[in-house]
Amino acid sequence: MMRYRLEKRPEPSKLMLYGTPVAAVVLTMILGCLLFSAIGYNGLRAVQEIFLTPLTNPYKWQDLGIKAAPLIIIGTGLSVAYRANVWNIGAEGQYIIGALAATGVALMTWGMSGWWILPVMAIAGMAAGMAYASIPAFLKTRLNVNEILTSLMLTYASVQLIYYLIRGPWKDPMGIGFPQSRLFSEAARLPNIIPGTIVHLGVPIAVIVALIAWFVMSKTVFGYRMRVVGAAPHAARYGGFSETRTIWLAMLVSGGLAGLAGMLEVAGPFQRMVPGFPTNYGFTAIIVAFLGRLNPLGVIVAGVVLAITFVGGQVAQTTIGLPDEATGIFQAMMLFLLLAGDILVRYRIRRVSPEASVGAA
Amino acid sequence: MPNRLELTGITKQFPGVLANDHVSFVVKPGEIHALLGENGAGKSTLVKMIYGIMQPDAGEIRWNGEPVVVANPKAARKLGIGMVFQHFSLFEALTVLENIALGMDAKIPSRELESRIREVMETYGLALDPHRTVATLSVGERQRIEIVRALLLNPQLLIMDEPTSVLTPQEVEQLFTVLRKLAAEGCSILYISHKLHEIKALCDTATILRGGKLVDTCDPKEETSRSMAEKMIGTGLKDIVRAEGRAFGQPKLVVNRLSTGKTGHFDVPVDNVSFTVRAGEILGVAGVAGNGQNALLDALSGELIGDDREAITIDGHGIGLMNTTERRRQGLCAVPEERNGHAAVGDFTLSDNSVLTARDRLGMVMMGLINSGAAKTYTGKVIADFAVKALGPASTAGSLSGGNLQKYIMGREILQKPSVLVVSQPTWGVDAGAAAAIHQALVDLAAAGSAIVVISQDLDELRALCDTLAVINMGRLSAARPVKDFSVEEIGLLMGGVHGSMETA
Ligand SMILES: Nc1ncnc2c1ncn2[C@@H]1O[C@H](COP(=O)(O)OP(=O)(O)OP(=O)(O)O)[C@@H](O)[C@H]1O
Ligand SMILES: [Mg+2]
Repeated sequence: MMRYRLEKRPEPSKLMLYGTPVAAVVLTMILGCLLFSAIGYNGLRAVQEIFLTPLTNPYKWQDLGIKAAPLIIIGTGLSVAYRANVWNIGAEGQYIIGALAATGVALMTWGMSGWWILPVMAIAGMAAGMAYASIPAFLKTRLNVNEILTSLMLTYASVQLIYYLIRGPWKDPMGIGFPQSRLFSEAARLPNIIPGTIVHLGVPIAVIVALIAWFVMSKTVFGYRMRVVGAAPHAARYGGFSETRTIWLAMLVSGGLAGLAGMLEVAGPFQRMVPGFPTNYGFTAIIVAFLGRLNPLGVIVAGVVLAITFVGGQVAQTTIGLPDEATGIFQAMMLFLLLAGDILVRYRIRRVSPEASVGAA
Repeated sequence: MPNRLELTGITKQFPGVLANDHVSFVVKPGEIHALLGENGAGKSTLVKMIYGIMQPDAGEIRWNGEPVVVANPKAARKLGIGMVFQHFSLFEALTVLENIALGMDAKIPSRELESRIREVMETYGLALDPHRTVATLSVGERQRIEIVRALLLNPQLLIMDEPTSVLTPQEVEQLFTVLRKLAAEGCSILYISHKLHEIKALCDTATILRGGKLVDTCDPKEETSRSMAEKMIGTGLKDIVRAEGRAFGQPKLVVNRLSTGKTGHFDVPVDNVSFTVRAGEILGVAGVAGNGQNALLDALSGELIGDDREAITIDGHGIGLMNTTERRRQGLCAVPEERNGHAAVGDFTLSDNSVLTARDRLGMVMMGLINSGAAKTYTGKVIADFAVKALGPASTAGSLSGGNLQKYIMGREILQKPSVLVVSQPTWGVDAGAAAAIHQALVDLAAAGSAIVVISQDLDELRALCDTLAVINMGRLSAARPVKDFSVEEIGLLMGGVHGSMETA
């Protein structure tokens, strides 16, 4: 029997480091083409519709913008946390709670007008996202409970909270029985920035958030802390950065940004809270963060790439009848190939032959 | 009989550095061959190519007369080449046995492996419990794992890159017995070290590199340590200059009944340690690795915070409850034993590594923003003043040779002009010329009124450098006495735990 083992490479090259995301995307297209051909679709068409049509068809660009915006904002927060090896997997929950807090403000101020309503919603959304992320932070720092599990499980709780609120206290009185909140008043809706399109204020905000994060991560002590804790925890302690504080900061930043994305999404495209609000942006943003090499500038590019798969998935659904799940399959394949590629960049596979001696296992 | 190893014209270029420049020499069967040279001369690079970690850009390697291409370490091991590295690659959370098993090319049932390990340990007198977790081991003990790992393969050539930097004199003697025994059995040994008296005691031939070129070959038995050092450097060697008749100032660092809890993370906790270092004084702490040195350093640096404010005072201010950053602001800098991943981050540039410990004392941070210009300037100064061979502040710490990283780290702390400096193994892996420069810098810092604590296993270093000396054993510290009052035998006995003159003040 042959055994295989991973052996660390002396030095992964810079080129490979930045080449893997590109290779992962290209390989996803190739494998996706083969996979969908094998199960009886036109594989080439599928890949073309999913990856190219959104780019070549100008009508789809606005869709790309509004899909990419939440991915970029959440992905930026996650890239900050993951840099410090803090694995917040529950951005979806923080995104939902942020949206619910913003909805709460919108409903309380319903019928009022004033420029201050949107900023208050944004603050509420971020604060709520932070508060929700502080639960795993507390459990991790106090009781050493793995943040991956707690943050993930809290996501499911947040979904139930939507159902409760829009069936009960926040139910639209004019909704003829539909479980949804009432439509936000004008002052609680995000303005469109390009007339005649659906592009809302959240799109430029996403780019600005990523740029600020890039600056913070590369130029400030905060960013330095995140990088050094992730790269060498022992050296971080020597340098005076406590692990507990870093975990809190990482959780609060990623939770706060997820909450902000939730607010922008509910005040922008949705304009009311509905049962279908959770669309897994929080999970997809994990792919965005890794595809963007945990670098906020990379996250902008990666956010657009993932937005392409969303938009393209819908195109392929209508044009060649590809199932809804195809988008998810492509996205998952991309993450899988990226992570596999990362391992091969840092390690190489070595074959280990069992020794010719008695009782080889 | 063919030569065991024959190198012809080996050349290796790194960006901006020609690390090896047409190096040719031979190693005979059963020969103990020394590879000497300053920090950054290219010794590690050369042996990495022999072991297949890197490929030469040009040149030929012949193994037992046959030309070979050593594609990777596995191929090297297959040929019969074993290597013990300057920096170890061990998994902290695993046991000794598991670490060795992971490094084996063949899968061997763990019971059989364990009995083979015990056999090797027995044959060569290397004591180590296979079931201990690596995290609990001292650097010296960790090295033993690497040696055992290499010996398990019955090598025909054993490469040792600075194996004795962290060993005590007794351990070094044991290691030499092992190596002589191996050589007598026909195994060749390629031995890199900066400790020239060891080279004299052990090696048959020495090849000297400077700036990547082979500059000389000699018989160490016919040379003095000094003459070999001068061959390496190419010029004369300086002695430590210290002002005669210095008087010490007021007590600066006072440690009073300091104890640390057992956290399981480091070897031995310190137990009720008290000592005083006056301004201008260098106190040496001698001891066999794993006797509480790490805990002492962590407790002083602030990585380990105790519960008694007054257990550590600087100029009368209690700092026992402060973290590392606050202690640095109070003037206390520290250098821990482990360089990679503790005192420096390998993936970061030298500039970024300066930010790690110098950001507050040297104003590299303004309102949360890192002033990268200031970090770069300071790093440039460290590189220049301590003759660090690096392309510049933007080189990554991991690209430096072992000794040069050490010089950088020492420079980074010393140039901050701390009023108290605590260092562990200040010249670990540093060549004779640079060791003298570091010693001189420490003496100068003390002369300027700082209190210095040097934790080291190198008795020669302690005797040359320190004013007073104390011995640490099982976490307890003997009373400090002027270094002149100690004989070598006495220190040796104290390190071994004979508590004759031990008393706590
Ligand atoms: N991966 C690398 N990338 C760039 N430069 C390197 C790399 N590895 C080594 N060098 C450079 O090559 C030169 C030789 O390094 P090497 O590690 O062989 O020195 P050395 O003789 O072992 O020194 P020391 O005694 O300090 O361990 C140095 O200038 C070093 O900075
Ligand atoms: Mg070296």
